Amino acid sequence: MTAAASLKSWYWIHKWSSLLCTLFLLVICITGLPLVFHEELEHLLDDGKPYAVVAEGTPRTSLDSIVQNARAQYPGEVVQYVYMDDHEPTVYVGMAASYSADPKQHHYMRFDAHTGELLKDGDTLAQEQFTFMGLMLALHVDMFAGLPGQLFLGLMGLLFVIAIVSGVVLYGPFMKKLSFGTVRKQRSTRLKWLDLHNLLGAVTLVWATVVGVTGVINELAVPLYGLWQSTEVAELIASYRNDAPPQQHSSMDAAVAAAAGAVPGNEVVSISYPGNRYATSHHYVIWTKGSTPLTGHLFTPVLVDAGSGAVTAVGHPPWYLNLLELSRPLHFGDYGGMPLKVIWALLDLLTIVVLVSGLYLWFARRKANDARIARRVSDMSANPAAARS
Amino acid sequence: MATRRYAALRRVWGAPAALGTLTCFGLLAALLGVDIWHWLAWAALAAPVVAGVWFWMFPRR
Repeated sequence: MTAAASLKSWYWIHKWSSLLCTLFLLVICITGLPLVFHEELEHLLDDGKPYAVVAEGTPRTSLDSIVQNARAQYPGEVVQYVYMDDHEPTVYVGMAASYSADPKQHHYMRFDAHTGELLKDGDTLAQEQFTFMGLMLALHVDMFAGLPGQLFLGLMGLLFVIAIVSGVVLYGPFMKKLSFGTVRKQRSTRLKWLDLHNLLGAVTLVWATVVGVTGVINELAVPLYGLWQSTEVAELIASYRNDAPPQQHSSMDAAVAAAAGAVPGNEVVSISYPGNRYATSHHYVIWTKGSTPLTGHLFTPVLVDAGSGAVTAVGHPPWYLNLLELSRPLHFGDYGGMPLKVIWALLDLLTIVVLVSGLYLWFARRKANDARIARRVSDMSANPAAARS
Repeated sequence: MATRRYAALRRVWGAPAALGTLTCFGLLAALLGVDIWHWLAWAALAAPVVAGVWFWMFPRR
């Protein structure tokens, strides 16, 4: 292929990969702005009771009593998970009508970790989609369509990454005669926006690639966990295959203590209740995290037999789950304090300018082409002989 | 000839490559380090933002 032909193909790839994903990417970038600050905004918008301020060293109430309290609120429902907030002394209990219920029908209650008091009785995720932050999240992650929506937006993210790669290939020839930072503001609007598109595309290049790729990986969370469940977890619990699930579940506090003993140095973050899709029908899955900055993002699950209360196995998540877990901070930008969040928001804004200028360039070019064709057509009708030659 | 091509390559890709390297460093420093590394990460990741906004406001001709 000649250089000109190859450039043309890359241009074609850039144009179509961008055009197909731009509108979705715009929605993702715009909804991503408040989501960067979701902790702060949720705190601000929260209507739950505050947790009790207690003297240092006050012991936490037992998880079993919190779970019992949650069950009393919704008799007949099942417990899905228990999650310990790592910023505040609060404990979340997720419940649903049954284990096979749509994840969007899950709802949570927030309890004070010290007093055990119910602080907030949340709506189902399906209802929360219509609060401001819920709406932002739904538009950002699945467009209200659950797993198919996640996979679709993952595909859009993939197109975005393809647009970035093809954009890099085009950057060289376009910038051959220009110094970095040139914006030809005087010549024409189209040229000005072309230069800005190239400039801002170049400065956001690595960040946008990382956030794009990690976004795609995050959209694959459900299938990746499913893969792990059906391979490693299935192997770990092979000996339980023919047993009936336990009628009575052992103490959650004892299970957490057993798990913590199995992975010294790790901190327990959450517990998937037996029957939940991240647990097994026979086990609590206790999710623990390490204590270094890096391992604090990597989870080690511990399977605890919900009948006997003994540790069955410590899981060693495969590379793709570690990749998924590292993709979270690298996508959310929530791992370096408020300054990192602000930088995340600014880079997001610059990316929005790249998307909008790209869309504008396509329109402007189409208009220019249409005008050129119209001129050619009028030339032809004015002078048929000349047009034929 | 080779040096001229290298110079041309550096002229086009020098700045984006430097900003890209700073971005990588910043993303990893914040992920792997604490305290001083977070400050270095913020400084490194501010570089592409500053470069983008600066040349937008005060472009080269």
